[in-house]
Amino acid sequence: MAAYLIGVPLMAFLAILQSSVLGTLRVLDGSPDLVLIAVVSWSLTGRMHESMILALVGGLFLDLLSGAPFGMTAIGLVLVAYLVSFLEGRFWEANFLIPLGVMSAAAVIYHSVVVLAAAVSGRPIDLALAFSRVFLPSALFDVLLALPAAQFAVRARDALFPPRVKVG
Amino acid sequence: MPQGRTRTLLTLTLVLVAAGLLLLNVGGYLEPVKSLVLRPMGAIQGWLATRAAAVRTLLTSPADVLTLRSENERLLAEISQLQQDNIALREEAAEAAVLRALLGYARSRPESHYLAANVIGRDVSPFIRSIWIGRGSDAGLMRGMPVVTERGLVGRVAEVLATVARVQLITDPVAVVNVKLQTSRADGVLRAQVNGELWVEQIEQVAAVVPDELVLTSGLGGAYPPEVPVGQVLTVRKRDFELFQQAVIQPSVDFESLAIVLVITNFEPLILEPEVP
Repeated sequence: MAAYLIGVPLMAFLAILQSSVLGTLRVLDGSPDLVLIAVVSWSLTGRMHESMILALVGGLFLDLLSGAPFGMTAIGLVLVAYLVSFLEGRFWEANFLIPLGVMSAAAVIYHSVVVLAAAVSGRPIDLALAFSRVFLPSALFDVLLALPAAQFAVRARDALFPPRVKVG
Repeated sequence: MPQGRTRTLLTLTLVLVAAGLLLLNVGGYLEPVKSLVLRPMGAIQGWLATRAAAVRTLLTSPADVLTLRSENERLLAEISQLQQDNIALREEAAEAAVLRALLGYARSRPESHYLAANVIGRDVSPFIRSIWIGRGSDAGLMRGMPVVTERGLVGRVAEVLATVARVQLITDPVAVVNVKLQTSRADGVLRAQVNGELWVEQIEQVAAVVPDELVLTSGLGGAYPPEVPVGQVLTVRKRDFELFQQAVIQPSVDFESLAIVLVITNFEPLILEPEVP
């Protein structure tokens, strides 16, 4: 429950931040996808059910602030959380570079859905331009932020849900 | 139940929930809920956007930063308060300058009624060129109302909720504006390209279009009022074997630095296309 009490407002805040602040600080047409980073980071901690529900909520907040068909981003983020959940938080503990690879793959899936949403809403898409002007800079930002975000998520998990230990 | 199956079941459920919401939104049933959720979100968005603009103003004026730095050295005790005051005043001055320009524009066109609105955010999808403004149906905004600044046409209101509205920019690839070229008197259709360029298409071959010519809205089609500046011709593309010529234009509005816009509230637009959620 604590994860939702903190997670839902956090998702709303990140979506707002993405629209009001990062929307004006784009490199080419790319900017960090804060909600995606948060969802992937929380998924990597192994708390998969929460991360999937937070992915839906975060996606809906993003859809509220977009002209794209409502619900499309949410579906994309749920799929991302589902795929990341297969790691079940195991490999991340073993290799600290895992978040970088996972974030790259997640960025590919997420931006594919964003492109699909734009196409569904009738926008003409130039895939080569979308790749060079949107996907590459955004994915670079996402990967750069993946490690600190994953570290933060693990600390937040340990603080909110301390591991149980057997005494005696 | 095995964990893998639970996970798949949950994912399917969540995807179905999202798809259900998508369908409900297409039917327009989610508007009250969206208005309710966007009311506090819009307020936070506006607050954040103002602060971000203030910080940006500070960072993009290096001469003033140097002055502030020298002041900081001399007045260590007052540094924090002075900086805060300075940022706030600078932002107010910038806002006043924008409002003064907008007021001048509004006075030069007394036939239109205007409503000023702060730009509080941008579309989170990089493929959709639209902005969010801090006024909605509570302030009398309606879908289709044209949006301008003192420099020219910005776009039109595409989606209205209680306290916020989404404005489709003329740089959005699906936006279409009927325009005329001021000197050659030729009519054309303005469309944004996927690479961000603005083209005026369907200009008759016989029209003598020249660079630097002013492009204005024509008012044809009833979507925008006439005589609103849109931009200036940069280059002309004319081929003898084509039916029409094209012009690439430089928009008069800087869409990257929009802070306050004016919504023309007494213009009744003719909206032909259905509302797309």
